[in-house]
Order: sequence, then C-alpha cells, then structure tokens
Amino acid sequence: MINSNLLTVRDLKKYFDTRAGFLKKPAPVHAVDGVNLNVGQKDVLGLVGESGCGKSTLGRSILRLIEPTSGEIIFDGEDMMKVDNRRLRALRRKMQIIFQDPFSSLNPRKRVIDTVGEPFIIYGMAKGKALKERVVSILEKVGLSSDSLYRYPHEFSGGQRQRIGIARALAVEPVFIVADEPLSALDVSIQAQIINLLQELQTSLGISFLFISHDLKVVRHFSERVTVMYLGIIVETGKTEDIFTNPQHPYTEALLTAIPMPDPSTKRKKIILAGDVPNPAQIPPGCRFHPRCPKRIEPCDKIRPKTTDLGGGHSVECHLRG
Amino acid sequence: METLLSVQDLKTYFYTGDGPIKAIDGLSFDLIKGTVFGLVGESGCGKSVTALSIMRILPPAGKTVSGKIIFKGDDLLNKTEAEMRGIRGGEISMIFQEPIASLNPIFTIGYQIEEAILSHLKVSKRESKKRVVELLKAVGMPSPEIRVKDYPHQLSGGMCQRVMIAMAMACEPSLIIADEPTTALDVTIQAQILDLLRKIREESGTSMIMITHDLGIIAEMADSVAVMYTGRIVESTDTRTIFRDPRHPYTIGLLDSLPKGKGEKLVAIPGMVPKPSELPEGCKFSTRCRYVIEECQSSEPPLKEIDTGHWVRCIRSGEIKRL
Ligand SMILES: Nc1ncnc2c1ncn2[C@@H]1O[C@H](COP(=O)(O)OP(=O)(O)OP(=O)(O)O)[C@@H](O)[C@H]1O
Ligand code: SF4
Ligand SMILES: [Mg+2]
Repeated sequence: MINSNLLTVRDLKKYFDTRAGFLKKPAPVHAVDGVNLNVGQKDVLGLVGESGCGKSTLGRSILRLIEPTSGEIIFDGEDMMKVDNRRLRALRRKMQIIFQDPFSSLNPRKRVIDTVGEPFIIYGMAKGKALKERVVSILEKVGLSSDSLYRYPHEFSGGQRQRIGIARALAVEPVFIVADEPLSALDVSIQAQIINLLQELQTSLGISFLFISHDLKVVRHFSERVTVMYLGIIVETGKTEDIFTNPQHPYTEALLTAIPMPDPSTKRKKIILAGDVPNPAQIPPGCRFHPRCPKRIEPCDKIRPKTTDLGGGHSVECHLRG
Repeated sequence: METLLSVQDLKTYFYTGDGPIKAIDGLSFDLIKGTVFGLVGESGCGKSVTALSIMRILPPAGKTVSGKIIFKGDDLLNKTEAEMRGIRGGEISMIFQEPIASLNPIFTIGYQIEEAILSHLKVSKRESKKRVVELLKAVGMPSPEIRVKDYPHQLSGGMCQRVMIAMAMACEPSLIIADEPTTALDVTIQAQILDLLRKIREESGTSMIMITHDLGIIAEMADSVAVMYTGRIVESTDTRTIFRDPRHPYTIGLLDSLPKGKGEKLVAIPGMVPKPSELPEGCKFSTRCRYVIEECQSSEPPLKEIDTGHWVRCIRSGEIKRL
C-alpha cells in the first residue's frame, strides 16, 4: 500500500482570514486544520462530512486551486507545495476536478467541443480534425453522441451536463480526479447513470478518486476506503466496509444511523445528535466533537485525542479508542 | 378510517407563452385522518405544484383548471379567498424546503409566530406571547425566551426549520403539508427534524403530506405513498407494499437506482424525464420503460386497483415484478 501511494497529504492546513467588524479582531477560519490522508493507485477514497466541515476546501487545496496555508502534498513523488509554476502546470495535467453543479461549472458560451477540447489546445496536444476526433472519442466514453459537439450547455439536461464536465476532466488523461459532490444536483435515476459511468471509467482507466459526498449510500457504493471529516480534521479513516459495519468514532456512528434507509422493515436505533452543525470559526477545545458527542467522557472537553491506529488501515481520533 | 383530504382528478396548468404546461394532469389520492401520506418523485414531477394547488397559493401563471379538493367534506376549490385565509395556517399549514427564505427577514421570529397565532385564534397578546415560547420549546429551540428576539438570519438552517414548524403548529392544524422539509439540511440535522415531525404526529395526531424525492424518508415517515411521474400518480399503496412489491416499472426503476452497498452496476433508468411539452402519447413512462410494448404507446393506461388499495398505472403490472 505505502509504496503504491499516488498522493500523500501531510498536515495540510488552510486558514481563511475573515474580515470581522470594526474593532473586532479578525478570527481566521480553520477550514482545513491539519489533515493527513493518502490515495493509492487506482484507489477511491470517499470523503464524507457535513456542510462547512472543509471537504471542498480540502479537495481544492490538494489541487492547489486554493493556496494552502501549510502542509505537504506529495503527488507522484513530488511535493506540490514546493514545485515551481511550470512544474505545477505539468502535474496538474494529471489531476482533475469534477464539480457539483453541472449548471454553473460549464461556460455557457462555449460549445461542447470547445469545453472538452480546451485542454488539448492549452497543452498543444491536438488541433483541427485530430482534436475533433479526440473529443468525439471522449464523448463516447461518457455516453454522449457526436451530435453534441457543436451544442451549448443550456441545450443539455443536468445529467448530460455532468457528463460534459466528466468528459472535460478526462480529456487530459488524468490519473487522479477530485469529484466534489458530482451527484448531488442530480435526480435519483440520473444519479444512478452517473455512478455507473464513474465506476466504469474508474475500472477501465484505473483513475484514482477523492470522492467528496455527503451521501453515504453513494460513498459506500463507490469507495474503496472512506475518511470522515469533522470541523477541519479527519476523525476516522478505514476500508469502506469497516467504516460502515464497524464505525469507531461516535460521529461516524451517528452519521450512519442518521441516513434514512429505503427499507421500512429494518428498524434501526437512531442516534440523534443534539446541537447544530458547528461553525469553523469557533472550534471547541479538546475533542472538536465533544459538545455534540453522546458518549463524551472526562478528558474530552480539555484534551484533544490522538489518532489511534486500529490496524488494517483503520484509524480514529477519539478518547474512547485511545 | 376517516378521509381527511380527498384530491380528485386535479389538473393544474401553467400558462406561459406557447400552450399550457400541464404540471398536474389528473391527480387523485385520499389522505386518511391521522396518517402520513408520502408524495415521492423526481424533480419537476409536480409535487410542489400539488401542494400549492391544495393551499391555493399558485403563482399567477398557474391555474387549477379542474378537479376537486375535498377537505373535511368541503371542496377547497369552491372557497372564497377570505375563507382560504382562515384555512391556511389555521386548518392546513405548510412547511417549505428553504426555511431561511420562507421566513420574513425583517421581523423577529417571536413576532412572526405570534402573528400566525393572532391571525387565527382569539387570544390576548399576553397569552399569545406565552404560547410562542411554549411552541418554540416544543420544537426543541434552546432558551426560547431569549431566541424569540432573534431575526431569521441569526439562526442556522435547522433552527429556522424548527421555527417554521412552530409556526405551522401554532393553531393546531389538522393537516401539515411538508414540502421537502429537510432537503436543504445536513444529515444529522435532518434526523433531528424528522424526529420532531414524528413526535408531533404521535403526540397531536396531526395528519401530514410528506413531499420528498428521498425514498428513505418515505420508508421512515409515511404510512402510505404515491409515486409521481410527469404530473400524475403512477403507483400508490401502503409504504410496506411499495418497497416489497412495487408493480410500476418506474417505481421499480427508482428502487433499483438506489446504491445498496459496495458493488455491482446499478440498474439505472435510461434516458431522462421528457419535457412537459414533449410528453409521449400513451403511457408517459414509455420512452424510458424497459417493458414497453406497442400497446403502451397508443393510449394512456388508467390508474388501476390491482390489489386492495394498491393502484398502478401500467397495462403490464400483472406480469411485472421486481427481481
Ligand atoms: N411558475 C411556474 N411557471 C411555469 N411552470 C411551472 C411553474 N412552477 C412549476 N412549473 C412546472 O410545473 C411542473 C411541476 O413542478 P413542481 O415544482 O411541482 O415539481 P416538483 O415535483 O416539486 O419538483 P422538485 O423535486 O424539483 O421540487 C414542472 O414541469 C415545472 O416546470
Ligand atoms: S404501460 Fe407499458 S410503457 Fe407504461 S409503464 Fe407499463 S409497460 Fe411500461
Ligand atoms: Mg418541489
């Protein structure tokens, strides 16, 4: 596992300065606050957590679409934080992102051939007839026919636009894709089509994914491993089945029981967390989850737990397992 | 079993430019008093328009052109606007998807709930103030005496939804229509709100229409359910049966589309929902249906009762089973 790592992220931080009111001290928002993770070759790491916990910021910081505050991002043996701009551009060719909203992530004035073909032109890989052929073959991969070539985004449905977004990402033949909630703007029946597409591409092209989603059912279906984020940090990581059948962090446990299951015959006991999704500008001391934790014990509100390695790639940050 | 609400052959059309958009085209269902009726379907199938038609708060371009909405024995479509104002918020309340947008930003939440009480009940200001605090407490608002002075933007989405529910409960309505009440919320907050709605239903016996695109919410909340597609019901029965023995190809397709765990390919429904202006002749699902035969395309199948209380709009429902 270790030597087949494609991406290793160490102690990555991204703080945003907020402009507080007059006379108020600006309070930096610790959106990503010391994250460690790794993604192997042909691996799919699911990243789950609630709104504002830092999922998207983490995904974008890894690609340096947002400039991280500090940390290491080792991609294919090179530290993304240390390379110069030319090298960064070259590395970026191997990494792509797919966004949540297929409506706003495509340029409305660009035809499909321009959007999907853009990277070929930027990197000088193809033009003219060759370009058209390459674009058509990518469109085929994502299930769009060649008569889409000269049409504009508004002529497509949500699911089709997401296919265009995926085609754009595939154009440069990336080895790693950050998919940031790629399904959440889509209807159930279309979601299933896109999940199938991503899965096909993943297996046939061997692309690694960081798959960001708040939908745990989708994550379970698509990911090899899962990592759970809470208030800027990772609280639990493990193989998908271990996380879903044997969660060790009380937050993971609560998240899992909170999903409404489409099966009226299973009566599960729900763990209903008190309190709101927390604010990353006000991080509680000790364990960040302690104000909402139904199992909190003596040191939780004072001392931050260490990460415990439970073996088999399963790790957790919680005093109960410390 | 007393029927509280009976929607009969409802048609609501929108008139925008060329030709009417038939958002609801012949919708019928009964809501039994004290139960939760789920309406499920994908975006644009007409769930919200159904709710707005019942409340009679359609946007100007929308018009209910025929049908009946029998509530407690009277047709709401025959009520005057003044009568409807008494019913809305009094007898029937609605909870919307976007809690923050549904509250008025320039009034405190206490004031808004109080208004809801005073416009329907004859109580003193003092009493209504007391009732506001009680209501906020009942929906799980921490320190309600202080929070009454908050403006909507000072509250989180989940807290705003609690305020909306408090307002909806203010006059002890017999029916609450909840249109995607948790779609905009995080999963742990969704669990809180669903739990609250469950408690309200147990404690006050309020009937509910629960509108959602999430079959999980249907499984957890609804007693019976109708699956909608292109402005019509394609299947309707009790919740157990819809999951155990679905008979409409669309219902089966929706259930098969759900990811179940790590693994194999999902059986997705091909294609996409046709535009309202491009609906096919005959069965509206025929363009995506894997059981389609020639007969399906000639005339639209009626909603047929294939078993007691189990209605299906498909000519082949007898032969079709989910594997
Ligand atoms: N103001 C309007 N003007 C014109 N057409 C409208 C209007 N509101 C709704 N419609 C049409 O009515 C149909 C039903 O819409 P409705 O909002 O009820 O769907 P829905 O099932 O609630 O979808 P969602 O899951 O996205 O909330 C759609 O075809 C929509 O385009
Ligand atoms: S009537 Fe025909 S097309 Fe329609 S759902 Fe049934 S089998 Fe499919
Ligand atoms: Mg709606």
